[in-house]
Amino acid sequence: MGTTAGGGRAGVRRRDEGAVRGGRGGRDRDDRGLMGGIEALPFGLLIFVVGTLLAANAYAVVAAKSATDAAARAATRQFVEAPVVDAAGARAAEAEAVVTGLEALVADGRDPDRASVALTGLVAPGRSGPAYVRCARATFTATYRVPALTLPWIGGYGSAFEVRSSHSELVDPFRDGVPGEARSCG
Amino acid sequence: MRVTLGRLRHRGTGPRPARIRRDGRGSSLVLMPAGVLIVLVLASIAVDMSVVHLRKRQALDLAAAAANDAATAGADPAALREGAFRLDPAAARRVVLRTVAASELAPDLAAAPVVRVTAAGVEVTLAVEAEYVFAGVMPGAPDGAVVTATASASAASSPSP
Repeated sequence: MGTTAGGGRAGVRRRDEGAVRGGRGGRDRDDRGLMGGIEALPFGLLIFVVGTLLAANAYAVVAAKSATDAAARAATRQFVEAPVVDAAGARAAEAEAVVTGLEALVADGRDPDRASVALTGLVAPGRSGPAYVRCARATFTATYRVPALTLPWIGGYGSAFEVRSSHSELVDPFRDGVPGEARSCG
Repeated sequence: MRVTLGRLRHRGTGPRPARIRRDGRGSSLVLMPAGVLIVLVLASIAVDMSVVHLRKRQALDLAAAAANDAATAGADPAALREGAFRLDPAAARRVVLRTVAASELAPDLAAAPVVRVTAAGVEVTLAVEAEYVFAGVMPGAPDGAVVTATASASAASSPSP
């Protein structure tokens, strides 16, 4: 673009093709050669938009993983330190732990409707089924569905990835009021 | 910048080149892709560093959980019956290994957990591999990094109510 053909033919071309007269440099402009590079502009814009969305989504997954890690840890700590004396107390402790995990996600700025926290394992030593006893290993799993597209001030759309974190700890073997034997821990 | 090519000496047998004047206008179009590329590379580096930071936090959480479990579950029962607290190094190590094996980080461990039992408690050191997301596509760049985390815990009797 912006080239001027020299010689006497340039004047003829200007008249024939209606070229626009240039500025101080006396340059002539027309649309010749425009299609020879115009595709680079939308293509470059596309790369920029897609690349930005890719990096933003990758970071969103990393940030969501950090949030689910914290939620799973908070729920597990709440559960293994809860005052539990029987099965009903264990169910209440599980419900409280789930609420604690969801609160940890909300504190991180996450949408609780996209999240779930659940007790996924309660392995008691020497027992076939799950039981809240000393040295039982409790595992909580926190899940968060990361939006496919997140827009500032507007929110997220779709569910592209499901981020999952789990955390496990032992029920304290030397606490008061918990059934079971401490010697089965080691 | 203004370059005039019209006065260049013409050589060869082809037609005489047209007189062309060039200036700097439009050069930003050429710089734009380079700028976009730089922004994307910086964003990918930020994401990869976030992954490393996330792995370090995960390793620290796991080391703290393992040390916390080992500080109580690894206690010597015979010493407790005598009113003293003493950790059994073998039992503490077993508890740490079980806790680490139950974690989702177990496949990413770069080395076996290091368990150090002292009179005060137990100290756990973990080395975890963190794989980069974007750096792997660049030739010559490392695929990941190894992060380490150390946590310690000790047991104490709760105050009487």
